[in-house]
Amino acid sequence: MRRYLARRLLLLVPVLVGVSIVIFGVLHLSPGDPAEIMLGSQATKEDLVRLRESLGLNEPLPIQYVHWMGHVVRGDLGRSIWMKRPVLPEVLGRLGATLLLTGTALLLSTAGGLALGVASAAWPRSLLDRLSAVASLFGASMPSFWLGIVLMVIFALWLGWLPASGMYASYGGGGVGDLLSHLILPAVTLAAASITIIARLTRSTMLETLGQDFVRTARAKGVAESGVLLRHGLKNALIPIVTVVGVQAGYLLGGAVLTETVFAWPGVGTLMVQGILARDFPLVQGCVLVVALAFAVINLAVDLLYAWLDPRIRYE
Amino acid sequence: MHLTAVWFALVAMLMALGGVAPAVAQPAGTLVVGLVAEPVNLDPAQVTDLNSNRVGRRIVETLVMFPDESTQIAPGLAESWTISKDGLRYAFKLRKGISFHDGTPFNAEAVKDSIERQINPEHPFSKLGKYPFSGFYFGNIKAVEVVDPLTVEFILKEPRASFLTILAVPAASIVSPTAVKKFGQDYALQPVGTGPFKYASWERGQRVVLEKNPSYWRFPVKIDRVVYRPIVEDQARLTELLTGSLDLIVGTPPDYVAQLESNPKVTLLKQVGAHVWYLGINNQRKPFDDKRVRQALNYAVNKDAIVRDVLKGTGSLSRGPVLPGTWGADPNLKAYPYDPERAKKLLAEAGFPNGFATTLWVPESGSGMQSPVAMSTVIQSNLKAVGVNIAMQTMEWGAYLAKLRTKEQDLFALSWMAGNEDPDLVMYPLLHSSQWTPNGPNRALYKNEKYDELLHQARLTTDQAKRAELYRQAQRLLIEDAPWIFVDHEIQTAAHSKRVQGFKLHPSFDLRVETISLK
Repeated sequence: MRRYLARRLLLLVPVLVGVSIVIFGVLHLSPGDPAEIMLGSQATKEDLVRLRESLGLNEPLPIQYVHWMGHVVRGDLGRSIWMKRPVLPEVLGRLGATLLLTGTALLLSTAGGLALGVASAAWPRSLLDRLSAVASLFGASMPSFWLGIVLMVIFALWLGWLPASGMYASYGGGGVGDLLSHLILPAVTLAAASITIIARLTRSTMLETLGQDFVRTARAKGVAESGVLLRHGLKNALIPIVTVVGVQAGYLLGGAVLTETVFAWPGVGTLMVQGILARDFPLVQGCVLVVALAFAVINLAVDLLYAWLDPRIRYE
Repeated sequence: MHLTAVWFALVAMLMALGGVAPAVAQPAGTLVVGLVAEPVNLDPAQVTDLNSNRVGRRIVETLVMFPDESTQIAPGLAESWTISKDGLRYAFKLRKGISFHDGTPFNAEAVKDSIERQINPEHPFSKLGKYPFSGFYFGNIKAVEVVDPLTVEFILKEPRASFLTILAVPAASIVSPTAVKKFGQDYALQPVGTGPFKYASWERGQRVVLEKNPSYWRFPVKIDRVVYRPIVEDQARLTELLTGSLDLIVGTPPDYVAQLESNPKVTLLKQVGAHVWYLGINNQRKPFDDKRVRQALNYAVNKDAIVRDVLKGTGSLSRGPVLPGTWGADPNLKAYPYDPERAKKLLAEAGFPNGFATTLWVPESGSGMQSPVAMSTVIQSNLKAVGVNIAMQTMEWGAYLAKLRTKEQDLFALSWMAGNEDPDLVMYPLLHSSQWTPNGPNRALYKNEKYDELLHQARLTTDQAKRAELYRQAQRLLIEDAPWIFVDHEIQTAAHSKRVQGFKLHPSFDLRVETISLK
């Protein structure tokens, strides 16, 4: 187990190096350079040349990459071109908000998806099952930013129950209540698509499990139906579900970019969008590296969870 | 595009159906402003975007400044000035008794440091920041000299009558040298100036808070603090205004203007800004090297329809680079009416009775670009009606600007946000032949020796009435030569709640919240 963990952690290194090369390449090879965007249409040629020079953009790409990596391995992600701030504290400062949002969304989608899926499997072809199928189609096909805006109009503008944006009140807010009221709309928006995916998967794996011999045996023994569903059915159906939940965690981290932008949530997503629009290379590279690391760690955690769920699984 | 329009319509319908939730009040004395993006930093010499300047300029000020309703020159931190006969020396008498927010006295040394850090690589502050416009604005400064603590003199390389206006641009703001020394590279994050508000705090991604400067020299500020919140999504900003979480928003999308105008809970403001949106024509390329072709294009485009249907009234028709109603504008300038028949006739005269095919480059978005793709699409269909078939290519802003430097353009959509009304800062860079891309921003490659001479003369003349006459002559040349298709000047919009009193939008695009009092 310990050796497995060590190996997996070591594997993170090539993964992150790969991510860094891809993101560096994509950013630097895509059209539009930061000096150009920063100076806009009023730039003189001398201003451009000087700015490119001072940003180190005149060096060949591999040298720029090596230069950047040299700093990264020492824990220095560089300074943002636009904001003049060091990137690492900037990204870490925003990571909490993103983890809170994605964590809440993951919790909502897992709990909601499991409940819906188990209920649909327990009463297949019932009204609930059909409704949940329709809702799934709706949830999976609706763009999250549009859902976010509709929820905002209904709950913030019409009903006035929830604030429309931000993480705390404009001024003088703070506290758990304030935070929660701001968290609900973005978390529900972000969770919507995942709920339906987890619900559909739970339903099908549950139906499959419930058709197996050991379930018939359990029922024959006289185990209460709730016990059959949860202890015998759900626990044995969990492995594929956990896999999907792990994938969804990554999806939510990515999807948070849109949701954060819609709701002005001060997370890594809004920071990344700002950075991309300004071609702020060090900032975007830093954001992507940190998010990739978070995703890799979540994946590892999911893999470790398998053994706990199914004692037959051993790590060598 | 279509899908977005449908979504907008749906959301607008939803909003119209429901009532509006009761307003949440802000703490007394606190003004909350919704910005379309987070400021990148707060040093106006180190930013190029409107949002950052709208916040940063509350903290720092310039030697000369624009009054609250125009972009004419008025005394600022300097109470008076004299200009030498040859137009090369500008001496400013500074106001006595003003201090920066950190207690440092405002004096000639501070002025020298603020400008020299941007142009003199030997200056100790030079390495502490990146100053994007140092060449464009201050490239003509030879030296800044401290005559005595309250007198500072600028010595220019060449005479330039627009120099006073240049000293009113955001980049010419005077900063506390003590603070720059103390904060170093981080100065841009916590600037110190003489302005009506001082920096208080900045929670990244959430808000920037400024507090009032109780000893502000111009007038007593009536609000205690301003909170700026970055909210990128238009609908979210609007909802926050309508529910009372925000007091003031800028940049309301054209589609929402009519709705806000009729809403009794908010006041919608409009103000034309010192900006111009034009469709550039490569004057050196065939067939556009023929004046008749360029004139034909101007007759062929229905500018009224663009302003009315695409911009929903957030633009005012343009007849040239200079903003109508300002001192340099020619009130009798002729316009090109929408006249497709005349366009066809001119094209036939030029040897194109059946029109021709060409390309139009358009950025997807960009500072001051309004709705570039939708506006260009109207132009494309207008030109098609007179036989000019256009292949439209949309590009990302940065890539687009780089591509314009290749001189390969036929037609291109572009704008210029001067932020001030001095014709020298728009007519010269955009159309003087010394400013041909890639050296300068004359991307239409326009050249007319008469025009060049008029603009050069105007630079040497410090008398404003004489300058105005020269610029009027030059504008008449432009109308005749038609180097661009003249389209519009942006009308900025803002909306505020009823508790906000005394606010006006400024033609320079600045956001002067210091004039506000709260009910």
